[in-house]
Amino acid sequence: MDDLRAYIESGVLELYVLGDLTSGEKLGVELMLKKYPQLKSEILEIEESLQKYAEAHAMAAPESLRSRLLNSVNVSDATNETLIVPVHKNLSFYKYSFAASVALLLLSLIAIINLHSQLKKANSQVAILNKANQKFSNHVNDIEEQLENTTQSLKIFQKPEQYKIVNLKGTSNAPTASLIVAFDPRKAEVMVDMGSLELPVNDGKHQYQLWAIVEGKPVDLGVFDTRTGTAGMVKMKSVKKAQAFAVTLEPAGGSSSPTMDQMMAIGNI
Amino acid sequence: MLTILRRFLKLYKKVKISLSEAELVQAIRARQRVGSEALYDMYSASLFGVIVRIVQKQELAEDLLQDTFLKIWNSFDSYDEKKGRLFTWMVNLARNLSIDKLRSKDFRNNTRNRDIENSVISIDEQRSIALNPEVLGMKEMVNKLRPEAKAVLDLIYFRGYTQAEAAEELGIPLGTVKTRVRLAILSLRKLFN
Repeated sequence: MDDLRAYIESGVLELYVLGDLTSGEKLGVELMLKKYPQLKSEILEIEESLQKYAEAHAMAAPESLRSRLLNSVNVSDATNETLIVPVHKNLSFYKYSFAASVALLLLSLIAIINLHSQLKKANSQVAILNKANQKFSNHVNDIEEQLENTTQSLKIFQKPEQYKIVNLKGTSNAPTASLIVAFDPRKAEVMVDMGSLELPVNDGKHQYQLWAIVEGKPVDLGVFDTRTGTAGMVKMKSVKKAQAFAVTLEPAGGSSSPTMDQMMAIGNI
Repeated sequence: MLTILRRFLKLYKKVKISLSEAELVQAIRARQRVGSEALYDMYSASLFGVIVRIVQKQELAEDLLQDTFLKIWNSFDSYDEKKGRLFTWMVNLARNLSIDKLRSKDFRNNTRNRDIENSVISIDEQRSIALNPEVLGMKEMVNKLRPEAKAVLDLIYFRGYTQAEAAEELGIPLGTVKTRVRLAILSLRKLFN
């Protein structure tokens, strides 16, 4: 063993690795290596340290040299490369992360386009629903108004002790005409029930005028149109006593005395 | 979006290939492109550093790196991993090619009057090695080697001297050269392990 240590310490292994031996000396070292396999680890360490020494003094060759050199060597077909070399360590990492990023990007784009069209669809649906909602609430408003009017009329018709219900019948001027007037003598209140109004439609230049006949004389109770936009009770001017009510067609705004040949309806209390 | 793609491609291009030594040997034997790329990316800078120090000329060193690379590739059958590490085989190929070039007649004729002794230092100072921080740290450690031992190792490893030429250059006995080479490498082993 001492001989072996002396052999190691002679420095011949270092020179062997450095390639600074004659072919005879080299052969001698290789024989020793066969004989004493433990010398192998010694050689390995020398090799490693010299490799690291070279790495510590490394110099990057010009970038242009790389492609020149790589193009100058013959390589086999690219097809079987991946089969033989299993690990592409760094390269494959970037390759896969790049591929994954591109895939992710494409997926995101598809998702965005999808979402966009869905959003568009949803928006138009919201618009349609809004329209329908508007229509519906308008309808509800109409019904509410009608209900209010009807309730109001009903309140009046349900109190015969307070209101006198007077049916006015059409004259020869308008045989099919009719309307109902409610009259409260105590409060001197007169109302026309637009819901039951049956009169020829008046034009813009004429209006109907309601008269109370008080002790044989007509008293003006105000004008109204067939198209008031309401179906409820319309309050007229007040009168305390009356024997009858009559309706004439007068120039718009009404007249101070009734035009008798334009009498459209009349009814006694 | 296009700029992102370009950046990716740039990054992709810059990636240096790294394989284990066994994988690399296998890939070179199979003459695979990835083998040649990994060979270049893993070892070209280390080999180039040695070649530049031996021949002391940038352009010549580039030519020799190409010669070395081709020789490694084309005579890879003569590499036997049972006999030693891949780098040992490659660096000795590089050193032999470089030394042969220096000793060739046409090279001597061309550079007869040139002072090449002083340029080692300038090469080391001018060229910053953009490798990795690990390597830069290693270089500092290497400078802690005993100067007389380092001088002998550098003459042989980085200048292509034989042990006999180194003994003559330094004016020391051959035995001392051997001892100092061993001492230098022992110190390296301690530094690196």
